[in-house]
Amino acid sequence: MKLDIEIDGKSHRVDLTQDRETGLWKVQLDGQPVEADAHFIRPGVLSLLLEGRAHRIVLDADLAEPALHLDEHRIAWQADDPRSFQRRRRHAAAHGPVALKASMPGRVVRVLVERGAHVAAHQGVVVIEAMKMQNELKSPKEGRVTDLRVIPGDTVTAGEVLAVIE
Amino acid sequence: MLQKILIANRGEIALRIIRACHELNIAAVAVYSDADRAGLHVLEADEAYRLGPAPAVDSYLRGRLILDIARRCGADAIHPGYGFLSENADFAQACEESGIKFIGPRSSAMRALGTKTNARQVADEAGMPRTPGCVHGLASPEEAADVAQAVGYPVMLKAAAGGGGKGMRAVNRPEDLASAFVAAQSEAERAFGSGEVYLEKLIERPRHIEIQVLADEHGHCVYLGERECSVQRRHQKVIEEAPSPVVSPDLRRRMGEAAVRLALSAGYTNAGTVEFLVDADQNFYFLEMNTRLQVEHPVTELVTGYDLVHLQIRVAQGEPLPFAQDDIHLRGHAIECRIYAEDPENNFMPSPGRIARLLQPGGPGIREDCGIYEGWVVPMDYDPMLSKLIAFAPTRDLAMRRMLRALDEYVVGGIRTNLSLFRRILRDEDFRAARIDTGYLDRLLVEPAAPPSTAHGATTVIAAALFEASRPAVNPANGNGTTAGNGRWKSSTASGWKSAARTEALRGRP
Repeated sequence: MKLDIEIDGKSHRVDLTQDRETGLWKVQLDGQPVEADAHFIRPGVLSLLLEGRAHRIVLDADLAEPALHLDEHRIAWQADDPRSFQRRRRHAAAHGPVALKASMPGRVVRVLVERGAHVAAHQGVVVIEAMKMQNELKSPKEGRVTDLRVIPGDTVTAGEVLAVIE
Repeated sequence: MLQKILIANRGEIALRIIRACHELNIAAVAVYSDADRAGLHVLEADEAYRLGPAPAVDSYLRGRLILDIARRCGADAIHPGYGFLSENADFAQACEESGIKFIGPRSSAMRALGTKTNARQVADEAGMPRTPGCVHGLASPEEAADVAQAVGYPVMLKAAAGGGGKGMRAVNRPEDLASAFVAAQSEAERAFGSGEVYLEKLIERPRHIEIQVLADEHGHCVYLGERECSVQRRHQKVIEEAPSPVVSPDLRRRMGEAAVRLALSAGYTNAGTVEFLVDADQNFYFLEMNTRLQVEHPVTELVTGYDLVHLQIRVAQGEPLPFAQDDIHLRGHAIECRIYAEDPENNFMPSPGRIARLLQPGGPGIREDCGIYEGWVVPMDYDPMLSKLIAFAPTRDLAMRRMLRALDEYVVGGIRTNLSLFRRILRDEDFRAARIDTGYLDRLLVEPAAPPSTAHGATTVIAAALFEASRPAVNPANGNGTTAGNGRWKSSTASGWKSAARTEALRGRP
């Protein structure tokens, strides 16, 4: 399986093959074979031995973007399977309507715009409160609010679409 | 002897108290809100009763309901933990009147020390040093100006009913006093329902050091050393340690004896904490008394060897203190980090939600008091504290190294936490040298954090690819790319089928 992994704006091609009998992975990074021994000790917790160095890598989860914990770092990545639809989807999303999603779970305390209103980039749209802190969510781009899905008092989950800007 | 204790609290402190009950062969009764049905305190208790919806006013603050539950289930005592009803004198009094033991001081002692102005009067009667200023609420900006003139600027305006930094204003110049007075008064009115404001001299760069006291119901009272709590953000403690690196045996004795005098003069019983500010010349000034068990009590337990919750229960049973002041010796050094569900890289934004992954530290000298587990959904309705991680070692230096080692083992996935903040503080030269005061952390946070290292490039890329390759298959029928649940990581072994079915079911709803 070939994957393009993008971290900090840099993209790498990783080629993974799993031996059906032993379960071991063969890894190529940017065309170069790498001596790697990967073992999932439980879902989301990876023991990775790379040229003798032992790493514990833990998958972060339930966030809008996948990320992992390595030593004291939390590193987010973006992945494209060169053959999948996901790639096209992600690139298509940059144009057209953009969803404003809740960055944290919470309760909607204020809605600052009306459906159909014109908003500037970074203009506040919805205010969410959790654990006695308020967070103003801003429009990701300039445009018209074509959909507004929450009213004050609503409970939202992280990643939930609050509004659509077109 | 107490047979059954109701714990009127939630989270880590409820679990901490349940554990103590079980160690003493006492049945433990939990109460819970709808958000906490799956909480660890419900799981570990012997009995558990629902209080109501998630908001605290509809659940953990419903004193009358809690008392009713205690009566109906036959509990002979209530432990209030910290927060919620723990410093509510009316609740303590209602317990007294219904013959249920409130594990804490009597309501009369709580009232005497309840507001900061009252507590300052009690401090004066006990002959203990306090910050210069008034001991009554101020009637007008003019009266405030007179007091400020007498003690000298800079001064601090404070809400008598205050806490958590609300209703506080530092004033450097006489011309700013009147407007600060009005602002502090209205903020106090809004936050506490009382606009009573008083004024004291501002202590520059103070340390916050507090003394743990314990009094039985037979007139004995001891102090169990101090806790250094100067590492604070917005007046909230972040790291606590015991003993304080700057308190000498002589200063400890003088502060301890002052705290005991205050407790005895107010008729105080059970565990309590007397907070002081200590200036650069090691003068100490009474700040306030907390009439309950403190969040940071474990550091005192580790350096004294005593279990404070056991002792609270024994005192509530009417037992005399099992030791005298001379029996109390401090040994080693303990540091506590308060781990919060908040994002230090994003202005400490709260981060409630599901703990998808949890790896907790262990090994020598590590204690963790927490109420979380992998799969637990941290509710948005309460304080964001997840856990208290405590390291204990023979010296402060070893305790710091041990804490850093434990932080390396600790991983929380799914929500953001402030774990990285503790690594930063524990590596900071000023903290390591104990050059700290209550403004220390705010000054540190103004500095930009060190940029993340990119040393692990290849490792990260390969690991990310392996996680991608093991990502559960997504049903192509759902693949419209806009649903939050689509193709998201599942934390457990739940199958892709199950999650696809759930997504479908949710979509079917109107």
